[in-house]
Amino acid sequence: MATFSDAVRALPDDALVALLRARPDLASPSPSTLRSLAARASSRTSLDRALAQLDTPTVQALEAVLALEDVLPAVRPGDVAAAVGATTPDDVAAVAALLAEARTRALVWTPDVADTALRAAPGLGDVLGPYPAGLGPVTGDPAPADLTDLPVGAREVLDALAWGPPVGTLPPPGTAAREAVDALLAAGHLVPGQGDTVVLPRTTGLALRGGRTHRGPALAAPVPTGRRAVPPAAADAEAASAALEAVRLVDTLVHAWEETPPPVLRAGGLSVRELRRAAQVLGVDERTAASVVELAAVAGLVDADSRSAPVRRAASWVEDDVDAPPSYVPTTHVDDWEAVGTAERWAMLAAAWAGSRRMPWLAGTRDEKGATRAALSADLGRGWIPRLRAQVLTALASLGGVAATVDDVSADLAWRSPRAVPPDAVVAGLVAEAALLGATGAGALAATGRTLLDLLTTEDDDPEKSLAEALRAVLPEAVEELLLQGDLTGIVPGRPSRELASLVERAADVESRGAATTVRFTTASITRALDAGDTADELLAELARRSPVPVPQPLEYLVHDTARRHASLRVGAVASYVRSADPAVLAGLVEDPRLAELGLVRLAPTVVAAAVPAAVLQSALRQRGLLAALEGPDGRPIAHLRRPPRLERGGSRELRSPYASPGAPASDGARRALVERLRVADGGGRRSPFPSTAGGEAGRIPAVDVVERTPIGERVVTDARPGTPGPGDALALLRDAVRDGGHVWLELVDGHGRPVRRRVRPLRVEAGRLRALDTQRGAELTVAVHRIARVEPDDD
Amino acid sequence: MGDGPLIVQSDKSLLLEVEHPLADACRRAIAPFAELERAPEHVHTYRLTNLGLWNARAAGHDAEQVVNTLIEYSRYPVPHALLIDVAETMDRYGRLTLHAHPTHGLVLESSDRAVLEEVLKSRRTAGLMGDRIDDLTVVVHPSERGHLKQVLVKLGWPAEDLAGYVDGEKHPIALSHEATPIQGGEVKHWEMRPYQAQAVDSFWYGGSGVVVLPCGAGKTIVGAGAMAKSGTTTLILVTNTVSARQWKDELIRRTTLTEDEIGEYSGTRKEIKPVTIATYQVLTTKRKGVYSHLELLDARDWGLIVYDEVHLLPAPIFRMTADLQARRRLGLTATLVREDGREDEVFSLIGPKRYDAPWKDIEAQGYIAPADCVEVRLTLPESDRMTYAVAEPEDKYRLAATATGKNRVVERIVEAHPDDQVLVIGQYLDQLEELSAHLDAPLITGATTVRERQRLFDAFRSGEVSRLVVSKVANFSIDLPEASVAIQVSGSFGSRQEEAQRLGRVMRPKQDGRTAHFYAVVSRDTVDQDFAAHRQRFLAEQGYAYRIVDAEDLDSVQ
Repeated sequence: MATFSDAVRALPDDALVALLRARPDLASPSPSTLRSLAARASSRTSLDRALAQLDTPTVQALEAVLALEDVLPAVRPGDVAAAVGATTPDDVAAVAALLAEARTRALVWTPDVADTALRAAPGLGDVLGPYPAGLGPVTGDPAPADLTDLPVGAREVLDALAWGPPVGTLPPPGTAAREAVDALLAAGHLVPGQGDTVVLPRTTGLALRGGRTHRGPALAAPVPTGRRAVPPAAADAEAASAALEAVRLVDTLVHAWEETPPPVLRAGGLSVRELRRAAQVLGVDERTAASVVELAAVAGLVDADSRSAPVRRAASWVEDDVDAPPSYVPTTHVDDWEAVGTAERWAMLAAAWAGSRRMPWLAGTRDEKGATRAALSADLGRGWIPRLRAQVLTALASLGGVAATVDDVSADLAWRSPRAVPPDAVVAGLVAEAALLGATGAGALAATGRTLLDLLTTEDDDPEKSLAEALRAVLPEAVEELLLQGDLTGIVPGRPSRELASLVERAADVESRGAATTVRFTTASITRALDAGDTADELLAELARRSPVPVPQPLEYLVHDTARRHASLRVGAVASYVRSADPAVLAGLVEDPRLAELGLVRLAPTVVAAAVPAAVLQSALRQRGLLAALEGPDGRPIAHLRRPPRLERGGSRELRSPYASPGAPASDGARRALVERLRVADGGGRRSPFPSTAGGEAGRIPAVDVVERTPIGERVVTDARPGTPGPGDALALLRDAVRDGGHVWLELVDGHGRPVRRRVRPLRVEAGRLRALDTQRGAELTVAVHRIARVEPDDD
Repeated sequence: MGDGPLIVQSDKSLLLEVEHPLADACRRAIAPFAELERAPEHVHTYRLTNLGLWNARAAGHDAEQVVNTLIEYSRYPVPHALLIDVAETMDRYGRLTLHAHPTHGLVLESSDRAVLEEVLKSRRTAGLMGDRIDDLTVVVHPSERGHLKQVLVKLGWPAEDLAGYVDGEKHPIALSHEATPIQGGEVKHWEMRPYQAQAVDSFWYGGSGVVVLPCGAGKTIVGAGAMAKSGTTTLILVTNTVSARQWKDELIRRTTLTEDEIGEYSGTRKEIKPVTIATYQVLTTKRKGVYSHLELLDARDWGLIVYDEVHLLPAPIFRMTADLQARRRLGLTATLVREDGREDEVFSLIGPKRYDAPWKDIEAQGYIAPADCVEVRLTLPESDRMTYAVAEPEDKYRLAATATGKNRVVERIVEAHPDDQVLVIGQYLDQLEELSAHLDAPLITGATTVRERQRLFDAFRSGEVSRLVVSKVANFSIDLPEASVAIQVSGSFGSRQEEAQRLGRVMRPKQDGRTAHFYAVVSRDTVDQDFAAHRQRFLAEQGYAYRIVDAEDLDSVQ
């Protein structure tokens, strides 16, 4: 009789190709022989993987094969169909098809090519557990058990064990139940198990089940009952409004972050406070805000600004520790975003979401260590999310036009892959995201979602185009009109067009969104429009053009009143001014072409503002023959007018000895330090305990300040290598190395007080400690910074 | 675009396009469950509220009807979540019922044990209920009937009150359709207007509740109609003595009641008759820390209690009223807007809104006078503007509202209406005194005696006096039938309710069908203008849009 291995080797090429296609893990890494391919195909790992992809009826069929192969001389597809309870010809054919598919995957095989007798792949029994389909072990005679003549109470015992698990506990001695069990044990209908248990043998179990392994075939996914039907039009309409809202939320977020970019947490991600702020700006709860933030990020519209940090650090590395934290800012993708319409914007989001590995619903929850997971942090990414997303959408598609709940989706997924049931929380998160994005409407998969699903399963040249078209097909017609009313409200009876939306966002406060938009005009909203550059007349003209009814008079008054007050106080910047009690003196100044470069603006009959400093203005006026007095900030004339600006100088002035020479040390402490250094250089003082290395790098170390000022000192340092350069320099060198990933030579004092010299790659400097990688030894070391005697860069 | 007149927003507001051919049908269909929020000229806004939906349930509508109505009239697909919410909200009503148990008296019964447990566990219901009779029933202290209903509404499980009403002491009352005008003259035949009859029927069918009608639409007659239907002794609670007298006159005129059957219970007179009219003030008067006139509520076995101007009902009366749950209660008001936001207490203690009609509709039927609302904007002279600019914030409104330039404006408006009865209404006494002297018109303030007020009002009615300056005492329930022009010079900050009442002053229908005029004189660029904007919002939402006129252009207004 042939073995599994033989059967695999006997497979025709096409079948082998099909096998490798269905179970790609078998080909990676490529097996050396067909024998090893067969061995791998029956390994636990590979079988686990293969089973994870199978749906419930296939697993049922495999269980049936396993359960029957030790009982029947040969298991044929018909036997399997009967065992799982398939009765109609269609069901029988369906079971046969499932078995054929299982054969393709080498999960069942036929020992004899000419025969259809099936066997389970070796190892499958181990993977599916000791009791396939809840049936006990085969004991003794595999012939069907005879259950006609049973003692009193025995039937109940058997019924309790019939549908598994087949293991029961022995009742206490002396009871009626124990007597029945004893009788069954004697008749061989039960066998003793481990300890105080009894086991129902497979033959008895099958007999009790009427020869079946399962109650019925689970050929179709479970259909939820009692769910409200959602007509496709309703689903599409709700999906469309959700899609519009998603686009609006992302747009609002991007603009809010443009104004005030939130900082990136040290460990990456967005802080809880910033997330809360985003939620407030968007007017949604934090969970939704997290989804919106993640959506904007996967679409590449916002990103952590990695530029700012190193740039700033390079400029100010001497002061160190003043690095401004990097922040999340809009990217150049926003330019594309702003150039296109709503449908295309949504397509950008949807296409990005399709491949997203993010789980935004985890933001704000705590991980195993009790730390809060931050939105946009690496914690929220998982590689298997895109696959599960496709499965969730598939499940939603198969549920059809009903308001599906998360439980329905989970049940469908459980039927689809009973051996790999996804966690409910993740399913719930994906369903919520689908609703937020507008892939579903009222709980049912909408046309938009179906397009998304198609893109996930088939190749498409331009997925964004298909998505945009899908959305456009379900979006309601854009409306261009705004009904203005006497109570200072306005109503857009439908989806506003882009221009209209921008008008109402600019000039009014939105009170209610949905199928229609209602807005209210207030002083604040009109001020916003005026700030944005509209004038009162332009605004009224635009409103009149949009409104099918005349602009109500109170609204006209509101706009005019606001405009009047808006411009009544004006703020600007000038560098200097000319004023005169006599307007006649100032007449003609502004128009004089000779004074054009002064940037004169007449603010009032007696005041002219200029764009040049007061002194320049004064001399220009003098040249023109106008005598002007210069006045101070308090309005009083300043006596001394022209004085060249003096050099800005920080620090306090000290009284200096008249004998002091410039450049010499100014305090005793500084002098002592110089002496000490000189002594070391001279060889008379404490000598550096470190063996000298090749010179040359020392010059690269920024010198101590005193040395820098005196050429003599510098020479001394270069030649003799001071033992302890300024600690700030050492730190700066280390930070440079951390940033560039470079190596340095470190001289430090070890635990026994011995000087050591090591070539390391610094990883991090913080809290007074250096973490570095000793590449030679392949070990990481942490050193207190105060034990570091010297740092030299090493560019090799 | 679809073709329905209604747009259903997911925030539970309903937008009804007025010009749509189906608008009227739609309005009738949604009125039972949606509250009219705003009724400006083109699109009316209704809102679905829990109270409104429960109201509808109480009136016998079910969720399916509501959902079908929304779907039928909606232009766009109705948001699914909203439909579910409607069904769930309506389902909450009636899980708990209050009814009279043959042996245990008043009980709260639940069809759902979990709901009852939730309610019993709540701290708010502590002390309101007695022993458990069984899993689903619990005894309620009869005195806490009102309080419990109030708490249950707050908990989101409103109880259906099936305990019924005491019949009250019988006292035959009928409407007399031959009204005798007070001033003498010929007897005229009259009938209840259709909307008044509808209001009475809706109230009676519902048992207790509130009827909302605009000022001048004849709320007193609705009260009289309810009394006739009830045919029992009646307690009427009104805001002040003048209003009490008017109720009395009107009842004598419109019903078979005679003067001897109607008592007045006020600060000056304490009569208890089969029909007794009491003021809120006397009920809330405390002597030595106790309400000394509470016995009035139990003085007779009242079969009906009428609350006039229910939106002004003071909080202590709410508490007293809690004990009156076994009697039929009718609330009358022009607006359910309470500046203190206690609309839900009105719902639970007096009853749900039973009838509501937009002002414009009643105006269109010719029952209230059409009104022309004008805001006159007065630019303050430079000196006043400086004073205003440097004034302390708390003085600013007073300064702006009492700007002297207003006197001249009022004078010009009065000149423009030589043949009309003109009321000048204001807030600040010195301003009113000044105006009174300026216009040579009598002044009525809180300090004016009731007798003097009555005399002046009578003179005004008869046309003897054609200009009257009044302080805010005139805000409520003073019937000035022929006032056709009202000029408001100052108001109490931004009270929308006050504005509604003041407009109501001029909206009684005129014999010659003249248009009423309502002027508000406002100082430009001051808080006066801001407050005016707030006050006007209510009227604009009722469909009365203001025209704005600059004081300088006033001559062009006629």
